[in-house]
Amino acid sequence: MPDDPRVIPNRGPSSAPSPSPLLTTCAVESASVRERFEGHGDGLAVLREGSAFVDTVIDGFYRDLFSAQKTSPQDFCLVALGGYGRRELFPFSDIDLLFLSLNGQVETSRKDAVAAMARTLWDLRFRVGHTPRTLAECGKLHRDNLEFNTSLLDCRYLAGDPALFERLRGEVIPHLVRRDGQDLIRGFVEMTQARHSKHGNTIFHLEPNLKEAPGGLRDFHVARWLTLVSGLDRQGRWVVPEEVWPQTLQAEGARAFEFLAAARCFVHYARGRDDNQLTYEGQELAAARGIGCAPARSLHPADWMRTYFRHARSVQRLTARLFDEVAPARSSLYALFQDWRSRLSNADFSVVRGRIFPRQPATLGDPRLVLGLFEMMARHGLDPSREAERWVADAVARLPRQPSGIPGLWETFRQILVLPHSAQALRAMHRLGLLGAIFPEFHCVDCLVVRDYFHRYTVDEHTLMTIESLHELRPVQGKGASDGGRHPLEGWQLRFAEILAELEKPELLFLGLLFHDVGKGMPNENHVEGSLAAVEGVFERLGLSLEDRETVRFLIANHLEMSATVMRRDIFDPETIRNFAHLVGSPERLKMLCLLTYADIKSVNPEALTPWKAESLWQLYAATENYLARSLDEERVHSAIAETGKAERVLKLLGSPTSAEEFNTFLEGFPRRYLETHAPEEIAEHFRMGRQVASSQVELSLKAKDRFHELTVLATDRPLLFASLTGVLAAWGMNILKADAFANASGEILDTFRFVDLFRTLELNPGETDRLKDDIAGVVTGRTKLQDLIHGRVDSQIRPVAKVKIAGQVRFDDTSSSHSTLLELIAQDRPGLLYQVSSALAELGCNIEVALIDTEGQKVIDVFYLTAGGRKLTQLLQSNVRDALLELL
Amino acid sequence: MTKLEAIVQPSRFDSVKDALHEVGVDGMTVSEVRGHGRQKGHTEVYRGSEYTVDLLPKVKLEMILPDKLVDSAVAAILRTAKTGKIGDGKIFLSKVDDAIRIRNEERGEAAL
Repeated sequence: MPDDPRVIPNRGPSSAPSPSPLLTTCAVESASVRERFEGHGDGLAVLREGSAFVDTVIDGFYRDLFSAQKTSPQDFCLVALGGYGRRELFPFSDIDLLFLSLNGQVETSRKDAVAAMARTLWDLRFRVGHTPRTLAECGKLHRDNLEFNTSLLDCRYLAGDPALFERLRGEVIPHLVRRDGQDLIRGFVEMTQARHSKHGNTIFHLEPNLKEAPGGLRDFHVARWLTLVSGLDRQGRWVVPEEVWPQTLQAEGARAFEFLAAARCFVHYARGRDDNQLTYEGQELAAARGIGCAPARSLHPADWMRTYFRHARSVQRLTARLFDEVAPARSSLYALFQDWRSRLSNADFSVVRGRIFPRQPATLGDPRLVLGLFEMMARHGLDPSREAERWVADAVARLPRQPSGIPGLWETFRQILVLPHSAQALRAMHRLGLLGAIFPEFHCVDCLVVRDYFHRYTVDEHTLMTIESLHELRPVQGKGASDGGRHPLEGWQLRFAEILAELEKPELLFLGLLFHDVGKGMPNENHVEGSLAAVEGVFERLGLSLEDRETVRFLIANHLEMSATVMRRDIFDPETIRNFAHLVGSPERLKMLCLLTYADIKSVNPEALTPWKAESLWQLYAATENYLARSLDEERVHSAIAETGKAERVLKLLGSPTSAEEFNTFLEGFPRRYLETHAPEEIAEHFRMGRQVASSQVELSLKAKDRFHELTVLATDRPLLFASLTGVLAAWGMNILKADAFANASGEILDTFRFVDLFRTLELNPGETDRLKDDIAGVVTGRTKLQDLIHGRVDSQIRPVAKVKIAGQVRFDDTSSSHSTLLELIAQDRPGLLYQVSSALAELGCNIEVALIDTEGQKVIDVFYLTAGGRKLTQLLQSNVRDALLELL
Repeated sequence: MTKLEAIVQPSRFDSVKDALHEVGVDGMTVSEVRGHGRQKGHTEVYRGSEYTVDLLPKVKLEMILPDKLVDSAVAAILRTAKTGKIGDGKIFLSKVDDAIRIRNEERGEAAL
């Protein structure tokens, strides 16, 4: 027996043990535990065996240093804490020991022996954390050291006075929990929040920390502590956490712990120290061995990581649920806020303590109702209750296999995308399987790891972050607790926030973001092609209009182009700007692509979008936007059919009686912007209208859209025409938001106006639409005098109160166009302004070749391409125009 | 040993980095910087607001080279960073007295 190195010597209480022969024992034992792990891969066995071996060592030393008999001396005992207390000792983890004395006197008398024991264990290379404490000290809440109070929850008797240990476990700790349980739980919440925040608040790290990251082992421990505290507080007894968890979470939690334990043991052994980072290299090795998988089999690293993420998600779900159950009573202000939120209840859902509960049974699971739940989340930033989660799971199971059957899917999903808490709702949809059920295309990036050293998150998490990072640019509505964590925007972010607020259809940008990377989960070599192919099915299911499909396709196809231009081209070279402007085509697409690029870079890792990169991105945006506004005169359509695929598509829509030549003649000379900003269907309609102009003199189309009306006028050009059109709209009290005035080489004008019907005249009086059209036609053909319509109308209108003061600015640019002078006008918006400006220009003899009218909030941004007598404006005329306009503004 | 600092156009950075690797430069420190030399800024207008682009984005590379590598590294940068236009950047060379690898206290070129 003496030859067996695993036998711990007992030399009697007086002699200090010499650790050197034991070093070999420890090394041999550690090696054999490791060897067994290499064979069976069972992490739980490592934890058990490691703890049991340390128990044996400590037992031997205890007999040497304190008492030959394990249960003495009186009033003193040795207690295992933390992971060691739980018998979960990882290969290189700390061993936490409590030397518990009844009082200070006992503690002093044992001081030397305690120090000797700690020293001996250190000499054996055990990483020991030793804490001498009296019983009374263990009963106090240590606000500055909650870790100690927490570690007591895992206490386990090792040696010494069993009665003293029983007082600790049976009286002192339960009393502490009853008294300070809420503070303890609050401490858990705060520590967990701080730890999660340090890890980006996501489980989806490409190189996660197995212990500290959200969904890691520490979260699992927190779940246990919460249950222990809750059991002591509410039932007055020690519970076995795993036994009181709900059945589904029990099994999921146990599997997750088993996997994480095996992975952590593997990483410890591989690194030879307490390092819990699952690096790419570690992932490859673990996947090749099938660590944590039963039966162990070699896996692709990406598949092994998917298993990791699914387990991490289970742990996260478990912890979130327990926090939810035992959350302490909050401040009265928080209660008031929650109470206020309960008023958000409606016929389908009730809101209780900030969570949504369905009112209908799951059997009625109408998919629209289920989507309604997420719309509510996206709108108010609420979370679903457990009942709601179960309800969604039931509904997902009942969902038609062809979700094209969900009526109104796009209408609701569009809302979910644009509402302020969209990312929160989409994350929940993803977590509960609804997103993948509606869009199987998204399922292929579920927990997908794409290995490069730049990305920090899985593809699905990166995607949802892009949507979140754009919503973070929006102003916070009110200062509710739900937005308390949002940081104020940096100066360089405000510009992007401004562009976002201007988007006409932000939902298309968000839809593009949601699917921009799905190709990464497909076998295609080029993920952009994969994403483009996948999104076609999404279009069909959503029933998206052809025009909107074009926009989303454009965004996905070009989602890498803007950052490539910023990083690899000279953005101060006019040629770069010209090429990039040709690629994007229209200001609206430019805005969307710029924001997509902003979000895409920002969601790669927290440091990826430096202010330096953001500034360069914005400079490319501003230069391209300026180019698009200033190049209309130069960039005109010539032989459209030969130039663009779009013209061909229009020709197909028009059918056989239309000759390519006739269509070319119509398009010849229009600014290219015209082709870029109109859908093929619209261009076809304009062409048909254009055919009638020769006989009718003027053709009109007036359509009511979501938030405005759109008027299109085709007519033969004549002086004052633009001013007359704006005049009729002003006389009718219409506020023009946007307008384009284009002309082709045949002298036909095509003007489009988007206006708001301030007095709801058209909406409330259906007959008035025809009368407005009649007035416009009358004024264009000369039948009606504009002065008769406008008499007393423009000036008498009530001016809206200016929320911001915008100083009028008039700028001329003689260089951008070879034959026109550009006039850029910035002014405070007011009804009738465009009519007054265009009239003033006409009176001074200026001809408007092209006009781009835009309104952003209360700011008018107009660009006119002007000529006088077929030439650029002279300096004198420019000066007169400036004076006239400034006086008017 | 020589310290080489180069300020280059961001658009040329990838080519410069590749060329340096090819001639045997193993490591470098790269920073996103802003600045101007003789290529002063210019004024732009966006939506009626003037803004001055006076500090242009550049990339700064820093590396300590064994003397035998300096000429080929400089040549590699010149070859790849040059567009012939104002704003192509500059290269600065300075002597370095010693280098010490903290891990094992190796000194001189062995520490590079």
